[in-house]
Parts: sequence; C-alpha cells; structure tokens
Amino acid sequence: MASVDVATAKAVKARRNYSFLFALTLLGLLVLLWAVLAFATPNFLTDKNISNLMRQGSMIAILAVGQTFVIITAGIDLSVGAVVGFSTVVIALLLQAGVPVWAAILITLLVGLGIGLFHGFGITRMGLPPFIITLASLTSLRGIGLLMTNGSTISIQNDAFTEFATLDFLGIPSLFWMVILVAVPAYVFLNHTRWGRYLFAVGSNPESARLSGVRVNRVIYLAYALSSIFAAFVGVLLATRIGIGNATQAEGWELQAIASTVIGGTSLFGAVGSIHGPLIGAFILATINNGANLLNVNSFWQRIITGGLIIVIVYFDQLRRRGR
Amino acid sequence: MSASGVAAAAPASGTAAPVTGDDTILELRNLEKSYGSVLALKPSSLAFRRGEIHAIVGENGAGKSTLIKLLTGVIPRSGGDVLWNGQSVGLANPQEAIDHGINAVHQEVVLCRHLSVAANIFLGDETVKFGLLQKREMTRAAQKILDDMGFQLPAGVELGSLTIGQQQLVATARASLRGTQFLIFDEPTAYLTRQEAAQLFALIRRLKGEGVTIIYISHRMEEVFELADRVSVFRDGTLVGTRNIAETNDNELVAMMINRSIDQIYHKEHIPFGDVLLETRHLSGKGFEDVSLTIRRGEIVGLYGLIGAGRSEFALSVFGRNPKTSGEMLWKGQPIAISNERTAIGLGIALAPESRRDQGLNLNLPIGLNLNLPIYDRLTRGLVISGREEARRADQQIRDLSIKTPSRKSLASSMSGGNQQKIVIGKWLNHGADLFIFDEPTVGVDVGTKAEIYRLFAKLLKDGAGILLISSYLPEVYELADTLHVFRAGHLVGSNGFRGASHEEVLAEAIGV
Repeated sequence: MASVDVATAKAVKARRNYSFLFALTLLGLLVLLWAVLAFATPNFLTDKNISNLMRQGSMIAILAVGQTFVIITAGIDLSVGAVVGFSTVVIALLLQAGVPVWAAILITLLVGLGIGLFHGFGITRMGLPPFIITLASLTSLRGIGLLMTNGSTISIQNDAFTEFATLDFLGIPSLFWMVILVAVPAYVFLNHTRWGRYLFAVGSNPESARLSGVRVNRVIYLAYALSSIFAAFVGVLLATRIGIGNATQAEGWELQAIASTVIGGTSLFGAVGSIHGPLIGAFILATINNGANLLNVNSFWQRIITGGLIIVIVYFDQLRRRGR
Repeated sequence: MSASGVAAAAPASGTAAPVTGDDTILELRNLEKSYGSVLALKPSSLAFRRGEIHAIVGENGAGKSTLIKLLTGVIPRSGGDVLWNGQSVGLANPQEAIDHGINAVHQEVVLCRHLSVAANIFLGDETVKFGLLQKREMTRAAQKILDDMGFQLPAGVELGSLTIGQQQLVATARASLRGTQFLIFDEPTAYLTRQEAAQLFALIRRLKGEGVTIIYISHRMEEVFELADRVSVFRDGTLVGTRNIAETNDNELVAMMINRSIDQIYHKEHIPFGDVLLETRHLSGKGFEDVSLTIRRGEIVGLYGLIGAGRSEFALSVFGRNPKTSGEMLWKGQPIAISNERTAIGLGIALAPESRRDQGLNLNLPIGLNLNLPIYDRLTRGLVISGREEARRADQQIRDLSIKTPSRKSLASSMSGGNQQKIVIGKWLNHGADLFIFDEPTVGVDVGTKAEIYRLFAKLLKDGAGILLISSYLPEVYELADTLHVFRAGHLVGSNGFRGASHEEVLAEAIGV
C-alpha cells in the first residue's frame, strides 16, 4: 500500500474519532443535565428520584434499541407504543386467567413476534411503506386491545409479578437491569453477527445487498420482529410497574423511542446507528422530563424542549456529515 | 464545409478554428468539462447555425451527454466559452438556458405523471384569472397546440396514462413553446413507434422552417441521414469532426466514431477452453428474447451492444434477479432453474453489475463490509463473526487488487471509480466463482485500473473460470472476447461471426445500419 492517500487516512481517523466524540458528547450532555439539576433542586440527587428516573428511562431505552434495528434498515416502526399498551392487556388477561407468570410472559412476547412478522409481511409481500403498515398497527392495536377489555382496565392480582418493578438488585432498580439484559445481546447482535451486518447492508443499498446474496426480505422481517418483541417486553415491564392492563397506556412512546434513537446518532436514512447512542438518548429525554417535573415547569414545556432538542442535535449531526 | 471538420484519424485538439458567419446562433469556444482529473469533454469548438438540424453521434461515453448538460445549464463548465448570438453567456443554471431560448427533450421524460397533458404543457406558465387556474381554457389551448403540431394526443388526460412514446411527444410539445430558438433532442425516437417518429420528424422540420436550431442526438444512422443538415462526431470526449450530411456516408461516420488506435492496455492470453459452464437455449425474459449462447472455462464471451439493448437484462436473468419467461438454461450440462440470486451464487456464478452506485456497492458502509458481504456465513463461528478472519479476508483483497485505501474501515463512497470497481470485483474474488459476469467493468475507470482489470481477467481464466464480458465500449470486447455476440433491441444479432469482422462491421450490426 505504497500510495495511500494521506487525506483519506486522516478522514478515516477523524470519522472514528468523531463517533467516539459524539457518544462522549451525548454522555457529557447527560452528566451536565444531572449536574445542573443537582444544584437547581434539592430533590434531584436523592435515591428515590434517581431510581425513579432510571425506571422511567428504562422502558423507552429498550423501545429505542428495538427501533434502532428498524431505522438502520431505513425503515420506521410507529407501532411500538401501541404494542406496549396492547401487551399490557395481553399479559393482564393471561394472568387473570391463571396462566403461570413465565408462560404469560412468553406468550406476550410471541404475540409481539406475530405483530412484527405481520409488519414484515406488509412491507415485503404487500409492498406497503413501513410508515403506513406500522401506522395502521398503531391505531388498530389500540382498538383491538380496547375491544378485548371492553374499554375497561384489567388489574393484575399477582403480587409476585407486580412487585418486580419495585425491586432493586445491587442498589440498581430491576427495570434498569432489564435494559442491560437487552442491550448486551443487542450490542453483540448488531456488531458481531452477520445479521447485524445485513441490517446495515439493507439500509445502505438493498439492491446491492440482494445481488450479494443477502436475503433482504428476511432481514426486514427480522428487524420488525425484534422491534415488536422488544415492545412486547416493555409491555410486560410496564404491566409490572403499574399493575394493570390497559390498551391506552404508553401513548406517544413511539415518538419518544424514535426521538431517543435519533438523538443517539441513528440516521433516518438508514445504515448508521449504534446501541449505546439510543440508550443515552433515552436517558437524556427521561432526565429532561424528570427535571422539568422537579422544577415545576409546566409539563407542556417538556414536549417543546424535546422537540427543540431533536432539531438541535440532528442539525449538528447534519453539519458534521456535510463537513466531512 | 468549414474548418471545424477534421480528419478522422487525427482527433481535433482544442485549436480547431471556430466557424463564424453563416448566421451562427450558438458557438462553443474550447468548451471543456472535467471531473477531477478526468476530462469528460476535451476542449471543443463548434458553431451551430440558425435553423439547421445538427446531428451529434458517438459511442456511449463519447461526451455527447456532457455537451447537452453544459448547454442546458445542468452542470457548470470547467473552461472555454459559449457565445449566444455573439454574446458570451454563463449558462450557470437550467433557468438561464431556458431564458435564452435553449431547451432540451431528454431521453427520459421529466414531467409530472399525475398531472394532465395540458397541465404539463403549461407547467410554470399557467393561465390564471382572479387567482384561479383556468383549466378548461388551458386544456383547449393545449389541444390546439398538439393538433397544430400534428400529434394525435388528448390534452385532458393524465400524462401517466399515455405510453412513454406519447409522453415523449408531450415533452417535445412543451419544449418547443415559449420562444425556443435552440432545441436539443437526446435519442428522441428510442421509445417511439414508427408513426409517432414520423409525427416528430414533421414537427422538427417545421421548427427548422421557423428558424429554430435543432440538435439531434441519435444512435440511429438512418435518422441522421434523413433529418440532419450537418453531423458532428464525438469520441472519447473529443469532437472528432463535423460533416455536411450530403458529403458523408455511414461508413465514414462509423469510422470516425471508433478509436482505431488499439491501446497497449489490452492484455490477452489464449487459454485452451475447458468444459461448457453455462448454456442458454432460446432464453427469453424481461428486455431480451431468444438468446442462445455457451460459455466455457477459459473463455471470454463478449456481449456488445448499446445501453438498453438487453445485455444487462440478460445478465440479471442468468443471475436470478429477474426470472426468465421461457427457454432453457444448462449449468455444467445439467438443466437448471435459477430463480433467485442465491441459487446463482451457490452454483458458482458471480455478477459485477452495470451500476456500481445502484447495484454494486453499499456506498456509505466500510470497504471491508462490502468485500465480505457475500461470505459472512463463512466468517461466522458459532453465532458471532470472527473479527480476525473478517479483517484478514478484507485486507487480502485490498492487497491483491491494490485497492488504494488507508484502511478496510474507509467508506466505499470515499474511493475513486476505479477503486470502487475493484471492490465490486473483490467481493466476488473473495467468494469465488466459476462464471464471472462483468457488466461494463471499466466505465468511469482510469486507464491504469483498466489494464489491471484486464490482467485479472487473464488470471481468472487461467484458474479455470469463464467470463461473460458485457460492454458498450467496442475496443474492449473486440480485443478481449474469444467469442463475440452483438445485442440489438433485445436480440442476439449475427452471433459468433465476428472473429475477423472489422470494428465497423460490429458497430454497424449493433446500430442496425
């Protein structure tokens, strides 16, 4: 390699440094938010509040990881909030019917798998845009859930199940452990298996992937299946936390998940994304919401701040990409 | 004939004296266009006269499209001058060209399919009364325009409901309005029926009668001789010469279009042929019909033809991308159905497709991932990829093909055309195959890399592979192929009879003179 282009070499190094710096910046932003809130309110840095914050952030974080798989393929999954709500209904009904907890969880996850496969089918076989098929699920799943419960709320009588969300292990809330439980395999999957590579390849150029022997349709099925299973899992976690099943729960969580993913550096054009980015993104959003509550900021402002943050972060990311 | 006509054997440099007088409407003075170090159009000087029909001919990649893009303001020029009615003009953007009265009818229709024919004709120039669109009035006016032009088309229907040929006529109608004085046609008859073509020619003659200058780009010699007053020939980005139509003939033009000097770069070794790898019998599919050919080990089978002649469609069908509609395929003597890409790859067929950007590469991903994409199942140990093996395989291709990159982690998009092509080829060397299909492997590739790619062909043949080489660059297939087939309009024409045929005869066969 005698005639290596020095400029390109620098560019490669700069890019590698950049993605590291980007992650560090996000983490820095998170720490900065914590520092400011710690000074601004006496209640922020309390055990109770921190574990509360971790519980709040955890569920969106898991949704965001699932969403990331889909967005890396240049798709979008708008249904995840509805899947969460629907899953609380499913598991509540199962537990009410006396199904053992482990079986109820497994069945709920399988329902998630079914929803994801349905999305894959709509996209690959029916040729529907991801936006449309998952939008259809968003509205109809809430309807189905309401039909199944006749619009009422099912309360969960299983104490062992509802206690789970309040447990700590090594001083860390159980829900946050669930994030780790999901994120570590997700990281290995995305970065160290061929299916992870295929997700990127399909998001970058499906035709080239196909002509290289990648089964593009299966990759799309996989991405949406994972997103829906993760959402169903979050539904289980939410059910333990609130102790009820109700199809209208988790309203708007799909947007928070997408926002976390985007703040975490995932490109909506596909083929760019990581696991750690969306996780940090989710906790940044959770911190903003938490801090706004503590500071008695009108909750309407939280929504406005989230919107502004998305614009600012993605704008800086665009500047960086253009400058490259 | 003026001084801009230069002998075919000596390509024009930028110094040909510009034509003046004769009521010149638009003049190029040493106009040139470069992309980095690649000259797409070498300095060219040419004067177009008011009210003439000036044909432009040349092989694919000869510089014709670059010239149109420069004149219509789509791309900025790198040097030289354009004079419009004697005044130097910038032509910095399409609007400026249109404002001067320069318009083009492109090969692909660039109109709004969901709007009506009338709405398309008046797009950007709608009839408005009290802020409201006057649809009925516009439809009536558009119908009158179409009728006057002799096009039998309804103005009220949605554009998308018409055939491509009819849409082309609508685009023509649109382009010839609004004080157009200089109208460029790029392969206008490619999609037209005979009758539609006749209507178009009548319109072109009428426009000429009204003093409009027509630039007519076509591969079809008979049209050039039927319509044009003068013809200019381009080759390899150079204006080779301009002729009065009455003083030339197809043989001379074809000779001017072909580069006679065969470069040193063709590296050809004759290797004894082995067993038949692939045989197609009367194979038909989307875009090609009744193709029968065989490829043996150690053999390069060349497919020559113009872009759109069905060569790439044939290759994609053999590779399983588009299913065949009829006919038979035999692989190593056994009848076989190739229904998808994975079947083809599993048999031992590799395809380096026509478009690197759209089909060959995952541009915004690292080179290493591109090189290993077909073999990740082999790189997987248990559940995860062996990072060391992944790196080793990528680095080996980068070294063997001397891909000029600092790292396998660089993005494919950061590479030059030649290096990108090496990545596409390296992907399949990494995987291994018996039959390699190379579709336009040297488009946009510099001469040095071309020579490397040709040497690689020789190595593949020696290792017992067979090669199907598709190209619209005649010298390439002519020099390299052991067996040469010519595609024209989806068919193989005059198969196998080309060893010993001249370049001129092969090109004539492809164009259908």
